[in-house]
Amino acid sequence: MWICKDVCQSFKLLGFLDVQSVPCARESVLYGSLGSLVVGLGHFLATSRVRRSCDFAVGGFICTMLGYWFYCRYNLAQQRIRQRMLKEGMRNKILFEGSSLDPERKQTGNERSDS
Amino acid sequence: MANHSQFGFQDASSPIMEELVEFHDHALMVALAICSLVLYLLTLMLMEKLSSNTVDAQEVELIWTILPAIVLILLALPSLQILYMMDEIDEPDLTLKAIGHQWYWSYEYTDFKDLTFDSYMIPTAELPPGHFRLLEVDHRVVVPMESPIRIIVTADDVLHSWAVPSLGVKTDAIPGRLNQTSFITTRPGIFYGQCSEICGANHSYMPIVVESTPLAHFESWSTLLSS
Repeated sequence: MWICKDVCQSFKLLGFLDVQSVPCARESVLYGSLGSLVVGLGHFLATSRVRRSCDFAVGGFICTMLGYWFYCRYNLAQQRIRQRMLKEGMRNKILFEGSSLDPERKQTGNERSDS
Repeated sequence: MANHSQFGFQDASSPIMEELVEFHDHALMVALAICSLVLYLLTLMLMEKLSSNTVDAQEVELIWTILPAIVLILLALPSLQILYMMDEIDEPDLTLKAIGHQWYWSYEYTDFKDLTFDSYMIPTAELPPGHFRLLEVDHRVVVPMESPIRIIVTADDVLHSWAVPSLGVKTDAIPGRLNQTSFITTRPGIFYGQCSEICGANHSYMPIVVESTPLAHFESWSTLLSS
């Protein structure tokens, strides 16, 4: 995922959306543009109606952009949750390693008693 | 702290601020979609000749009722989720009071033995090299990191407001009233804020500095200050 914080100059779409520092924004706009091109061009090739094809192109842009945005943000949220769980797990491992509360120690203890 | 000419948010240092930044990005994306549509429609209108042939507009009326409703739902749902999240009080580990005066803050840690101190801005003339002008204070608010902190804000004289942008906290300090808020700092560091309610001549010169440290350091600091 592309996030550009301090190194790149900011590029603000329509003057307010900084596509380089907002996660998923750049991909959403690019996929939206691609979707707009595909839908608009496809409709024009099928119907030869310019005006209606432009309408479909704008609609395709909005739908593809928002669709990819929700998909990307959902995946980002899941990744953040996994990162937090990993961080918590690593901290607990460091804290409890070798102590009576160490879950790995309990597990090997159970294996020994079974055998 | 904010850099010069900074327009966006500061880096988030609490879970609530992280959620707020994400919601802000989401709202901007919805705004971009709406602006694109409006710009396109505006362009079409400018290219069309005026006519009075329209008699029945049922389809377009249906579209411009349903579409804004969908947009409002897209914005309202995450907004309400964060609003209720901000009101959760999760058994705080520490309670401290922030009292606004003209023109300084005083803090009371009454969980311990009468730990109270005043926090004055360090004047520019006395600022050590490398420190931040109009932001540094003589006594910082030290809190343990990754612990829920409850802060009760009030004022002694006029209205003030205790605000720390990177923690996503802004609470009005009203004389005769106790306002409660809570936060958790996700990382150690120093977080700056400024009084956010006009309170007189030196309203701009009563900053807030929160120092988030590991628990062991916080305990040694509180022991040192209490003795």
